[in-house]
Amino acid sequence: MPPLIEQSFTKALFHGVIAEDMIFPYPEMTSEERQSTSIILDSVRRFFAANVDSAKIDREQEIPKEVMDGLRSLGLFGLQIPTEYGGIGLSTAAYVRVMQEIGGMDASIAVTLGAHQSIGYKSLLLFGTPEQKRRYLPKLATGESVAAFALTEPSAGSDAAAIKTRAEVVDGGAAYVLNGSKIWITNGGFADVFTVFARTSALEEGSKPKITAFIVERGMGVTSGPNEHKLGIRGSSTTEIFLENVRVPRENVVGDVGKGFKVAMEVLNSGRLGLASGCVGVCKTLLRLAIARVEERRAFGRNIGDFGLIKDKIARMLAETYALESMTYLTAGLVDSKIADYSLESAICKVKGSETLWSVVNETLQIAAGIGYMQEYPYERILRDSRVNLIFEGTNEILRCFIALSGMAAPGKALAEVAKAMREPIKGFGLLSDFALRKARAALGRERMTRVHPLLGREAVIFEEYVSELAVQAENVLRKHGRDIAEMQFTQLRIADMVMDLFAVAACLTRTTRAIERRGEDGARREIDLCSLYLNMAHKRLRQNVSDFARNDDELRKAIAGRAYIDGAYPFDVL
Amino acid sequence: MKILVALKRVADPDNANKVKIPASGEKIDTTGLEWKPNPFDEYALEAALRLTENGTQPKVRAGEVVVVTFGPKETETTLRAALATGADRAIRVDASDDKLDGDLVARALKALVEKEKPDVVLMGKQAVDGDSNQVGQILAELLDWPMATFAATIREEAGALLVGREVDGGVSTLRVKLPAVVTVDLRIVAPTSVYSTKTPSTHKYNDGVRFAALPAIMAAKKKPLVEVKLADLAPDQALKVSYHGFAAPPARKAGIKVKDVSELVSKLKNEAKVL
Repeated sequence: MPPLIEQSFTKALFHGVIAEDMIFPYPEMTSEERQSTSIILDSVRRFFAANVDSAKIDREQEIPKEVMDGLRSLGLFGLQIPTEYGGIGLSTAAYVRVMQEIGGMDASIAVTLGAHQSIGYKSLLLFGTPEQKRRYLPKLATGESVAAFALTEPSAGSDAAAIKTRAEVVDGGAAYVLNGSKIWITNGGFADVFTVFARTSALEEGSKPKITAFIVERGMGVTSGPNEHKLGIRGSSTTEIFLENVRVPRENVVGDVGKGFKVAMEVLNSGRLGLASGCVGVCKTLLRLAIARVEERRAFGRNIGDFGLIKDKIARMLAETYALESMTYLTAGLVDSKIADYSLESAICKVKGSETLWSVVNETLQIAAGIGYMQEYPYERILRDSRVNLIFEGTNEILRCFIALSGMAAPGKALAEVAKAMREPIKGFGLLSDFALRKARAALGRERMTRVHPLLGREAVIFEEYVSELAVQAENVLRKHGRDIAEMQFTQLRIADMVMDLFAVAACLTRTTRAIERRGEDGARREIDLCSLYLNMAHKRLRQNVSDFARNDDELRKAIAGRAYIDGAYPFDVL
Repeated sequence: MKILVALKRVADPDNANKVKIPASGEKIDTTGLEWKPNPFDEYALEAALRLTENGTQPKVRAGEVVVVTFGPKETETTLRAALATGADRAIRVDASDDKLDGDLVARALKALVEKEKPDVVLMGKQAVDGDSNQVGQILAELLDWPMATFAATIREEAGALLVGREVDGGVSTLRVKLPAVVTVDLRIVAPTSVYSTKTPSTHKYNDGVRFAALPAIMAAKKKPLVEVKLADLAPDQALKVSYHGFAAPPARKAGIKVKDVSELVSKLKNEAKVL
């Protein structure tokens, strides 16, 4: 029995299916968890207000030891570790909310804590044996030991299959000896425990390598290079790490031997959500700064807030932040409800989160104008700190390809099945998977979003229209390109951008519906307006993307780039 | 030592502009307000924790701190936060904010004190929302206990508290025999303001109130929090204070800049008419 497409809300959209029961009602924490989370946030805010000087951390490129110790004793190193292993045992939603708060206050600390627990020891939480958990989690929970995630190599970034670090079996299988190096490892300078990915098969051109995940202690022989000097998040430690004949006992394999790729992907799927939540936090901080600035700055005898161009920026920033927050907490809710597959949702949150933040920080700095550019003020630091989000934990370009290709994998399979069933009509139909059946159903009529509040009827209809458009476009490009779709990045970009906008709109619709049901039209006026504005902005992009499938200048761009590579530079000079 | 601390939640004083009054002026619209513990009550809790410990070993409790608040279910967040910070037990007196006044709260607290038998009742000198500044004084009168208001320092002695109060022109020091009612002012959370008999006089606290670490917040979920009906404490729920209307303060007009002192004097005299 093939899996149901309802395992992933976003993947179902590629079939034209709106699995609305997955996202309605909009998830929320239990009242008990809301209560404890609000007390946690209060403690976190007080600690940061009293102890954290972000300008100094940025200037001195280090988080002071007293601050690190304070973060440890506050309990911020074990947020999602179960209480039986000495952690705080937060749900994903509560974890994301706490990381949002920290992200909004100090990026270096957020990245340090995130590298430790969003990815560093995540493999133990997801795949660790009870013995591994007992051994490592208690110290990781208190921050007595700090974790790092070591995947990237000089010649293998997003391309994990190109990993060169080797793990050779020794002592008749009792241990592995690891050799290789990893670069750009956050917490690399002081981490005690590393999740290291190494190949356990020979490096052969063209063949898929077997990657295995290991828990490696620094004491086993890991060494680090010096801290890199970075554009932003300068208080965090980023180093190269070296593994030279590091002997790791067999018990330290995480997950199955040869299944390290799956471990890495699962860890990153969940880690990306933590990154997105930090972006939400920074956006909120920036909105406070921007609005305060707008009210204080005068030009031509008026507050600059009176000017239309400023109002336009503020409105867009609010709408984009609302959409980002809506999808981040929708995804957190999906994770907490134990749905099988949230890989696309978390990747979308990462891409949208980093790009929303980049646009909000850029506009805020623009509103602050002259002072925005000055080091005495926080704007330029926040801008520098924000930039890395577009790059790490999978570049946004790679993630767009991932979103498009992963989303189209099932429709592609369904198309092949339908073609096969057509050749053998009697036998074939009984074998049709859920995918293909749903495809047949979607062909009979457009899917509806029935649980949206009627006040959002216009928005729901546009959403439905473009879900069906996405399915049509996905099928068209699959028919046209077949397996070659993997090479069609211009097409992938359009597909990815469409589905990202659709997920964002869906998140706004379900959250705004809940707000209206709770507080009525007047009480939910802010949400309704932000939902409408975001939908209008997304609608323009969706329309453009659809039209670009038919008419575009992809080939022209490729030709220009190709010649530029030959020229090696911009080819003209006016002299 | 056993201490009862009375806490009130108030609308977040940092977001006072969110307080809305409907056109009818008959009440304050509390929807959408963020709630915080009354700062002076937080200081009272901090003072209570300092009095029930050796300041050099704050994790070992030496005494009992019971926190009480009056209000609907949501006010339990205030109590949970207090439990996370170190209080041992909590009591919520189920009541509606707009059906309380200082007199009724004091009468209900008296009944609670008679049941709990604390050595000290500590609370903020006033709540920053109504600023009534009544409950501590009325409670002491009803109990016929000694009282010290606006405490800036407290030093525990055998069977008594030595309380420093900042008054115009100096500090007045009172020795109150226990049991007693003490209300506190903001300086009570300075590093050398409060000493139990166990805390060495060389010890210096961190300035301000302590906040809870996350494990303590989670552990506080298991600490006892009981609900008591207001009617069980105060059968007569008549109010002495009745509100006739609410109005926002008039919006401040924009200021002006003056060139020099003579212009300032002339404006104060002729326009503001204050000279």
